[in-house]
Parts: sequence; C-alpha cells; structure tokens
Amino acid sequence: MAASTWEEKSYTVHNIMRTADFIDLDAGTLSREIFSSEDIFRRELERVFLPAWNFVGHTSQLAQAGDFFLSRVGTEPVIVSRDQQGAIHVLLNSCRHRGMPACRYDVGNAKGFTCSYHGWSYGLDGALTGVPKFDDRYRGRLDREKWGLIRARVSIFYGSIWATFDDGAPSFEDYLGADMRFYLRSLLQGPDGGDDGYEVIGGIVKWQIPCNWKFGAENFAGDHYHGYSHISVERLSIGLSGRTSRHNFAAVKIARQAMSVADPKRGHTIRASVYQALGPYDPQAGAPDEVNAYYRKCHEERQRRLGDKARLMIHGGVIFPNTHFNSAGRTTIGLWLPLAAGRTEVWRWLFVPRNAPNAVKETLREYYLRYAGPSGMVEQDDMENWTAAQRGTEGMVARKHPFNYQLAMGLARRSRPDEWLGDEVSITEDVAEHNQRAFYAHWARLMATAP
Amino acid sequence: MSQADRAAAIDALLLEVEVERLFSAEAELLDERRFDAWLDLLHDDIRYWMPIARNVRFDRPELEYTQEGSEANWFDEDKETLRKRVKQLQGGDHWAEEPRSRTTHLVANVRLDKVENIDITIRCRFMVSSRRLDHDVDLFIGKRTDVLRRTEGGLKILRRAVYLDQSVLLSRNLTTFF
Repeated sequence: MAASTWEEKSYTVHNIMRTADFIDLDAGTLSREIFSSEDIFRRELERVFLPAWNFVGHTSQLAQAGDFFLSRVGTEPVIVSRDQQGAIHVLLNSCRHRGMPACRYDVGNAKGFTCSYHGWSYGLDGALTGVPKFDDRYRGRLDREKWGLIRARVSIFYGSIWATFDDGAPSFEDYLGADMRFYLRSLLQGPDGGDDGYEVIGGIVKWQIPCNWKFGAENFAGDHYHGYSHISVERLSIGLSGRTSRHNFAAVKIARQAMSVADPKRGHTIRASVYQALGPYDPQAGAPDEVNAYYRKCHEERQRRLGDKARLMIHGGVIFPNTHFNSAGRTTIGLWLPLAAGRTEVWRWLFVPRNAPNAVKETLREYYLRYAGPSGMVEQDDMENWTAAQRGTEGMVARKHPFNYQLAMGLARRSRPDEWLGDEVSITEDVAEHNQRAFYAHWARLMATAP
Repeated sequence: MSQADRAAAIDALLLEVEVERLFSAEAELLDERRFDAWLDLLHDDIRYWMPIARNVRFDRPELEYTQEGSEANWFDEDKETLRKRVKQLQGGDHWAEEPRSRTTHLVANVRLDKVENIDITIRCRFMVSSRRLDHDVDLFIGKRTDVLRRTEGGLKILRRAVYLDQSVLLSRNLTTFF
C-alpha cells in the first residue's frame, strides 16, 4: 500500500477534534491543551486507556507456581500471578469488600492474598477463598463466586504478558494487527533470532516525571529528530562499540536506512532501520571477547533463521497507547502510567538474552544502567526536556499557539519496498514526525468517539 | 578505664573525626561541583552502588533492595563510569544539569563499624537537597555504608553502598552523586 495515502485518508477522522481546535493534521499542528488540560486527561483515561491492552510484565518473572509481582494497567494497580496449575492471572489489586490492595508486596511467592483490613482472602487466580464470619454473620449466603478479585483479560505473546479490563476490546492479536505482530515478535526474539529469547533482570525501575504521559509516548513512537537532546552523551562512549556514541550499532559498517513505521488504523509505531545487505558480524571494540563471541554466533544464527529479514533492526516504538520499548541491542519495555495531566509514572523492565553467558548479561545490565531511567546518561536529558515542555503548555498565551508536527509531512515514502515490512503500515524513511502524526491521529479518533 | 583502653578509645575517636572531616570535605566538593577533586577521593578500584528499594514481606528482607552485580540498580559504577558521568556534567551540554542545580549534601550519624587492617567500614545517614531552576525541589534521604582504604595518598573511598529510602523515585533524575 502506498505510504502517502493514510495521511490523506485520516483527515476525515478528525473533524470533531478539529472543531474543538485541538488537532489539525492538515496543518500538522496540535494544541498544547492536550498536555495540560485535566478535562482532556480524564477523557483520555476513559477513551484511550480503558479500551487498551497494556504490557504488565514477562513470564520470566513468574518462574515458579505462586510467584507474583505488582503491576499496572493504565491507572489500575494489578497483581500478576502464576497459580499452582501454571496459569497466569492479572487481577485488579483491590479487595471487593472495601477496596484495599489485596496484596501490598511488590514481589514474592504466596499461596494467595489476604486483605489487611477485614481479612478477606483470595487465591492466586483471584477466587474468593476466605471470608471471616462467613458462616455465622453472612449465614453462608455470600456468593463467593461473584466476589472474587476482578480479573483482567490476559494474553501471553512470546513471553510478554498483556492485559485489558475491557470486555469489548478485540483479542490482543487483533489489537496488534498482523504487521505489529511481526514487529513485536521480532523485538522479543533473542539476538540469535529465536522466539521468546529474553528474560527480565530483577527489579522494575520506577520513577515519576512532572509531565504529560504523551511526551514520553510520542518520543518513543518516532523521534529520530532529537539528537540535540543527547549531545552530551554522544561526546562519550557508553555502548559496547568503543566509539563515541550511545549506540552499539555504531560499530556496524553496513549502511542502513532509518525509518518510521506506523499502523495508522491502530496507532502503533516502530522506529527501525533496515540494513542495505546482510553482512558479517562487526565486533564491538568496547566489549570483552566472550561477549563478542556470543554476539558473533548469534549474528550468524539470526541470519540463518530469518534470512533477508535479519536486515531489520528495531530501535524502539510504542504499542498504543502507553507501552513503550527500546531495542537496537538493549531491550527494555516500559509503561507511561498516567497520574495527572502533568504527572506520569514510568515503569521499565530490563531484558537480557536468556541463553547468554553471564558475561553478556552483565555487560548489558551495565549498559542499561548507563543509558536508561533517572540515572541514565541518555534519558536524563529526555526527562529534563519533557518537564520543560510541560511548563510550555501551561501559560494562557502559550496555549493559544499550537505545537508543530510538520517534520517531513507529505514526504511519506518507501524507496525499498521490502514486502515483509508489512501491508498495513505506512513508512517514512529518514527523520520525520510521521509516527507522531499517526499516534495522535489514532488518539484523536478515540477521543472523538461518541460515548 | 585502663590506660590502654583509653588510648584505644582516643584512637577510635580520632579516626571517626578524620572520617567526618573527609565526608564534610567531600560534600563541599560535590556542592561546589569540583568533580575532578571528588574523583581523587575515590580509590581506583571503587564500587559505587545504589540499589532500588522494593516493598516486601517481613520474612523476605533479602528482596528489599535489588542485588548488586545482577539486578536493576540506580547505580552500579566503577571509577571509569563515574569519570564518564563527571565528563558529561562538565560540558555545559548535559541539559539535566544545565543550568546547574544547587545541591546541599548533609552527612550525619557517622559511625565506625569495623577496622580491618587498612580498610575502615563506616555507616552513616545522608540527606541531599537539590533545587533546580525556579521550582524544582528534590530531597534524597537514606543510609550509606562506605569502606575507606588508607593509602599513601590518604583515605580513599573503596566501596560505597547507598540505600535510598524511596522505592518509586519521586524525582525525574539522579544527576548528583551521593
């Protein structure tokens, strides 16, 4: 499908929002109000977050029966657990009696969960198993079937766990669509191209940013443009390449084409590169021999497994609306969790290849700690900039003047039409705000939906 | 108190005072952003570690802080990576610290834990206030366990474990040292 058509088609979608002066994709502008208005924020929770599927964690965090950890689906706290039969559950962490968290431990292993207020207890699958004074004061009549913890719909996708509380949402596979199934599966393939190739290292990194969740989302969705943000780390070498760069792929000699890939129907976005050709492994000068040996073997195995598709390198992206990931040799998945129009909590899971020797896992772990989160030399500058951008949405005068999303507008094109890049996605090569426009087009479509 | 006990107590007191003065001087170097001089206080083999805190059951205390060397941490650094962080701070282009934040590092409850040959283990509490631009307020409070090694160049920080009391970090960035 020609990539230029979706932007034209999508114009019709936004009439409701356009009359409200929030978004104008003809002009490539977006009102600053969508970042600062609490009214819009509340509408987002209902229209954008409730119908969404949201990453909640990874099967490697639940190795044993009884293992659990806490996570979130949008604004909702959840327990993710593995029961004695091995099934994985995502349960609203709110006692049915008075709403207390049924579980107050971030991580652990348990037979079930008991609310600390009146002692109602629940199994690993959320079933209500114990109610004090059940026989004498409820006279045995409380319908325990009906009063278990609220269960989310759960989908396991190549080791990743996804959940939604919307009964009307499509299946997770349909929510992704065929093209994003390909990209998300690729993301979760180990360096050797094997499916479900990663495991989570212990500890979810959690922090808060005083900015709207969409600043993070649109950046991860498609911002190939913000190199200036990171000039301080680009002076140094924090990857394995041994070169002055934050990226491991700085060591790769084959030319590549950066691209923004968007699914305009569903709002999912991918930042990726496609190498011009398959080639031999280029060693990372900053990595120990053992690490290079592992990656060389994986590089060759990946080409054998994937063939021409091994030319794809995913940099990152967003599964609409708030699940984000970073890749290109450092696989992390995270959530932008909306707290208020101007406040976001971020959760980040760090992944290492499950079949790698410890030296590789340790090298990657150290790379993440240099790169990501509040102590990351790269992302610190992102957080600073998004916080400052948030302030730029608050003034009465400033708010009258929209933000500009015109970068490479009308330049949607695909010079190398590798068919395996997808049927429904639209692609713009090189630096563009193509993905941000697709993200907000879908956002606006949901926001404009009649209740 | 015997003469020998008294002499030992005085030695311990002098050592504690020496360490307190070192920590005060270190705090001043950090607050004045004299990072190269701060790096000189660190032993070449330093391990600088700050785990992430979790909420866990009373009988699983080993889960409360993420593990060094294998799990996600706020920091798990050696001298080379700390040097890189300092270089990043010194270019005027690290936007998270440009313009600079105003920090005040306080160190308290300094207590000698043990002395083994040339290595001295110290426990203390810290409070770091950071004020950024016009409105940003960050307060970091926690506990520290340091190992100092006596070298020809004076006491050097060989190991620092920093236990922050927060689990979810309520600040957007950790751009200061602890």
